[in-house]
Amino acid sequence: MSNLSKLFGGGSTIDPRKEGLPLFGMWGGSSDMNTQMQFRVFDSNFRVTSSPWAAVSSTTTNYRFGILADGSHAYNMKDHGTDFHSNLTTESYSSWTNWIKSLYQVDQYPHCFYYTASRDGFVTWQSYHQMTSSFEYQVGWTKLNMVLPEGIRPRRTFTNRRFTMREFMGNSDCNTDFYDYSSHLLNTDQAYATGTGYNEKQKMLVMVHSGDESANTSKTIHIFRSSVCLNEGTKRIKDFFDNLISTEYFTDTWTNQCVKDWVVVVGNNGYVGFGLKQSNSKRYGVFDCNVKGTGVAITGASRQWTTWHDFAGSTTTSYGANSGHQYYTKFQTTWDGTWGMIYSPYYYYGVGINAYCMSLENPRKFININQTKSGRANPYIAWGRTGFHGGWSDNCDSEVWQTYAFAFDPKDSDHTIQTRVYKGSTSGDGAMPDNNSLVGGDFDNRTGVCSLDAMRTGLHGGTETTNYPMLMGINWWGNYGAADQSYGGK
Amino acid sequence: MATYYFNNKGEPCTPFTVSGEALVAAGQAIKAIAPDGIEAWRLSYNLSTKVVDVAYEGLSEADAVAKKVSDANDLAASQLAAEKAARGE
Repeated sequence: MSNLSKLFGGGSTIDPRKEGLPLFGMWGGSSDMNTQMQFRVFDSNFRVTSSPWAAVSSTTTNYRFGILADGSHAYNMKDHGTDFHSNLTTESYSSWTNWIKSLYQVDQYPHCFYYTASRDGFVTWQSYHQMTSSFEYQVGWTKLNMVLPEGIRPRRTFTNRRFTMREFMGNSDCNTDFYDYSSHLLNTDQAYATGTGYNEKQKMLVMVHSGDESANTSKTIHIFRSSVCLNEGTKRIKDFFDNLISTEYFTDTWTNQCVKDWVVVVGNNGYVGFGLKQSNSKRYGVFDCNVKGTGVAITGASRQWTTWHDFAGSTTTSYGANSGHQYYTKFQTTWDGTWGMIYSPYYYYGVGINAYCMSLENPRKFININQTKSGRANPYIAWGRTGFHGGWSDNCDSEVWQTYAFAFDPKDSDHTIQTRVYKGSTSGDGAMPDNNSLVGGDFDNRTGVCSLDAMRTGLHGGTETTNYPMLMGINWWGNYGAADQSYGGK
Repeated sequence: MATYYFNNKGEPCTPFTVSGEALVAAGQAIKAIAPDGIEAWRLSYNLSTKVVDVAYEGLSEADAVAKKVSDANDLAASQLAAEKAARGE
């Protein structure tokens, strides 16, 4: 059968979850949102993929409008009396508008909560005025941080709270699976699951339990390895735990202003990075979670690599989960699954970015990422094969749209050498200089700070009017391969 | 007064010596003296005058944030008015 399989091309099956290189949506509108707006979907090469979606109106009704069945039915711009283009410096009744316009809007999961779009470019505004009661807004922090193979985003949504894992379907609030794993725990001193990561290559699940869901510093960390993949489509959560190969734990005391901020990055080499927003800064620590043996290495000190690391970039007043559980620290990965990013805003409720980027092969390799904008928030999303970009979002009147883009070397996982970051420029000569210099930089492990630069994209509005384009996530980046016009290579 | 490191565009980069000096050595940051007690978002290194500028100087953090929002709203309103005028509305 194996020969027949190869004969008919079955020997190199592509994972059906695998997507093409990341797409992004760009929503542009005139300043009053009345007279013009457009939405388009671009690929990682900034080539348009969608049919243009646009609408015009000569009225001043300030209502939403559309010619392709815009799914929203609410006011724009001034919903709840709050201007979506505010600088995100206030926290009020309508604070959810800060959240959805901010970098909190998108994470590694292919579901965006404010504006989202199919890859055909049909934008949908998902506001139904009850955002504050929704799953993502209240308990999005319980989602697992996933380290997945190339081109794959989480297509199953698992959560972990107390001693129970559940499964959900995207943005729906309906449970589709439930499993109390307490019988598999070796230590139940701390009863609140507050951070869980999964590495699909290793079939390795690492979870943090705290003494409460607030700021308790007591921690028990469990490390599970199974012969069954948690993401296997035909398997249930119970199957993962029924087929455990090893279970270990360690205890420790970790500083945290809010336990809901913990991000758990399970590396391919068994080292695990734990990071969170802490006050205006961040903390990141790496622990050796490789199998040590029963009853061995049950303290944090016996597993920790060096020490906890404070964020080394610029900080200013900014908020995390202690100011609202929806502001929990976020996690994303590059398309190829070689680099990850733990991030939160630089400024108040969602502007700029403070981040650690780490090798997912070896989380001991990490640098600090900084972008110090204080107005016009925009999400950051995966871009290209091994990079991320965030929207510039300033006024594009008489300007081309810019992004804060940066990329890594997918083969670079050695924490004893500097990390190379590739960047761009706001001029062609800056991006492709008349010299032999690197456009970007090499940064020391742990202490290196990469300050992001804006760069031009060549996309412009075509009208001379004030507009503030916003970056949006796309649910499905299309099938991997020849159908993806930005794929490249052979 | 305290040492602060800015990137080559004059934006705040890091207050930390180890990180900052490494960037300066690599030609990726500028070392400057910044006033104490001012949030980093208000600091910028003026590449022409070669000193640190403070946005909304003299205001408290709360007042500076409020003024920033107010200025942004005023700008948006003036731009909208100009556009409407240009359209003859």
